[in-house]
Amino acid sequence: MSSNSASSTSGDDDFVDSNSVEDRLATVALADTVEEFSSPPPNLESQDGIGFASASEGEDEDAENDEDEGGVAVGEGFVRGGVVWGRTVSEIEVDAPGSPSSSGYAGERGSSGASSGEVEIDEVGNDEIKDLRNNDGEGVLDSQASWVPGKRHVDEDDASVSWRKRKKHFFILSNSGKPIYSRYGDEHKLAGFSATLQAIISFVENGGDRVKLIRAGKHQVVFLVKGPIYLVCISCTEEPYESLKGQLEFMYGQMILILTKSVNKCFEKNSKFDMTSLLGGTDAVFSSLIHSFSCNPATFLHAYTCLPLAYATRQAAGAILQDVADSGVLFAILMCKHKVVVSLVGAQKASLHPDDVLLLANFVMSSESFRQVTSESFSPICLPRFNPMAFLHAYVHYFDADTYLVLLSTSSGAFYHLKDCRMRIETVLLKSNVLSEIQRSLLDGGMHVEDLPVDPLPRSSAISSHLNLPKPVTDSPERFRDTCDGIAGPSGLWHFIYRSIFLDQYVSSEFPASISSPRQQKRLYRAYQKLYASMHERGIGPHKTQFKRDENYVLLCWVTQDFELYAAFDPLADKALAIKTCNRVCQWVKDVENEIFLLGASPFSW
Amino acid sequence: MATRRRMLLKVIILGDSGVGKTSLMNQYVNRKFSNQYKATIGADFLTKEVQFEDRLFTLQIWDTAGQERFQSLGVAFYRGADCCVLVYDVNVMKSFENLNNWREEFLIQASPSDPENFPFVVLGNKVDVDGGNSRVVSEKKAKAWCASKGNIPYFETSAKEGFNVDAAFECIAKNALKNEPEEEIYLPDTIDVAGGGRQQRSTGCEC
Repeated sequence: MSSNSASSTSGDDDFVDSNSVEDRLATVALADTVEEFSSPPPNLESQDGIGFASASEGEDEDAENDEDEGGVAVGEGFVRGGVVWGRTVSEIEVDAPGSPSSSGYAGERGSSGASSGEVEIDEVGNDEIKDLRNNDGEGVLDSQASWVPGKRHVDEDDASVSWRKRKKHFFILSNSGKPIYSRYGDEHKLAGFSATLQAIISFVENGGDRVKLIRAGKHQVVFLVKGPIYLVCISCTEEPYESLKGQLEFMYGQMILILTKSVNKCFEKNSKFDMTSLLGGTDAVFSSLIHSFSCNPATFLHAYTCLPLAYATRQAAGAILQDVADSGVLFAILMCKHKVVVSLVGAQKASLHPDDVLLLANFVMSSESFRQVTSESFSPICLPRFNPMAFLHAYVHYFDADTYLVLLSTSSGAFYHLKDCRMRIETVLLKSNVLSEIQRSLLDGGMHVEDLPVDPLPRSSAISSHLNLPKPVTDSPERFRDTCDGIAGPSGLWHFIYRSIFLDQYVSSEFPASISSPRQQKRLYRAYQKLYASMHERGIGPHKTQFKRDENYVLLCWVTQDFELYAAFDPLADKALAIKTCNRVCQWVKDVENEIFLLGASPFSW
Repeated sequence: MATRRRMLLKVIILGDSGVGKTSLMNQYVNRKFSNQYKATIGADFLTKEVQFEDRLFTLQIWDTAGQERFQSLGVAFYRGADCCVLVYDVNVMKSFENLNNWREEFLIQASPSDPENFPFVVLGNKVDVDGGNSRVVSEKKAKAWCASKGNIPYFETSAKEGFNVDAAFECIAKNALKNEPEEEIYLPDTIDVAGGGRQQRSTGCEC
């Protein structure tokens, strides 16, 4: 498949052939514990010795901490090319319980209680109290919709037992060791800890080296140095180093989106520069980004996803935006939550990176002031992948609780012009029912695995099939499994993500009942993320397929030049059948690509 | 990122090995003193919040090791310091004589924008020892040196008895504050339309 530029080129492309996956499966060997590789003959009918090999890396659900109950399994030596640096830790006393004075990290913290108590009460406004309450109830509510962005556990510091038990910390600090952001706890109270981190980084830098990763038992400490800004993640979630590093890159990108790289100049002028004031009020932006690391696959796929819409509807929306895009607008994006409805570029023909789309959407959605329906906002923002040095000006308007329009201009005086554009767009969107179509799509959801067409042959009546197809009659011998599990697709298919490489877009199926809680969804995303990392690992050569079975899932990954497919099955699923199912998923995606992807006019695919 | 602006001050404590840097810090932050000597390894960090003139400060105190072998920590440690505290032992002449080296070393490593006016504070520690009878550096001598270096504030302290420790640190906060640069308006560039901020975009992911 060489071009995605146009509609339904369904048909007899190579990947539809069910043998092809099998062939590839036979050729690849992969690193993890439980994959088994067989060389299946073309008509493999059963698996040799697929036992119930358990990977024992399942994420436990010990939920004493909110959104990061990651795996706490044994950290078997995950050694990567990076510098694994640990020696000097003891010299700088990162954690020396024996030393009474050590950095507050050793239990005797340095904050003088006297005045701080009062002041904190002042600072914890109503919002934060609400946030805290929500957070405490999070485990109970257990619903993604109820997640509220914002700072958590401000009362903690590095001496708190609860703080130390958090599974995933993020820190941003300056190269003089001054704290800028911490996911948990008050930045100022963590000043000693922040200094310790800086000392570690700088000590290694002094030796002409660079610290990337420290392993300490179950914990990984990942470092990212961006000029005068240091970013650190401390995690015991068992996520791969590359994934955590990617998350730090996003944190940095989010900061650049808010401030641009000009912030570096402030440090050049004044090494004592304290950045916290510049980021005032943006806690929610960062916490919501961190939250998305465990619930938005775009954060590791580096692709964006579209709201499913009838081709004609999307075209109509595109035509309206095209009208404005020609008049002094650099980018115009209509989004529904984190999904793109349509996006266009103006006359400059600049391109928009999926990571920028993610950061922009996160910024808009997590900033309460944008969210007022019927209000309009105009704000300087920077798109780090587009140009990290300078600001653009964003006009943001919510049409309803979920759907918003962002118009980006290079001119700081463009407000009235953009407002005018927005009004014209709104009129046409309403007249052509696009907004109600968007709402309908949001309710209906996208692709449901149980709707996967049984017939592997190309379907001519593909359009709108994904929403209205009757449930297929499963001809699979595995049928009993489907029924005992309640809901699952044919042959135990639970979920899939299909990423189109040319389009920089992905489509993800809706979650079945067996993966309905945010916790289960996060676990699956983490599994995908691990799979993604292992498929893209540098130095080991490009992998094409991977089949992996553990006690939670069967995971199948298939990477070609054109797409990447990640699929999760019932852990007892039959391998040959799973492979066939993947081929059908690919065909299905192809059949409905008009509706699930932004095609043709896509500005992203240059 | 609190809603109300607080100030964070990075304070570096320097001085010969054994003059009582860690003890001073412990007395100030934890109100504790131990006669047992334990050499600091590399550096140690403590945090203390103080209120001063209606403003809230967080002192981020960097207690460094006095031993020569740790002096290579250099630039990284001193970077972005708001104040530097030089400590000597009034009972040890050598530790007083070395103040000059410590000060110069700091100015070289930290290279502050205005070295003449960088805020230092000098502390003569251990005034309690032997009822002051073993003292070898007189207050007069110390003050004279401080005056010659641009009127560095001078305090005589006893970490053991907690004498003058709070006063010294209050002065440190005050001094660091004095040196606070004026706030500038943060004004990054805007993308120039004609130039089109077109950036090379990498394909796929590199993360």
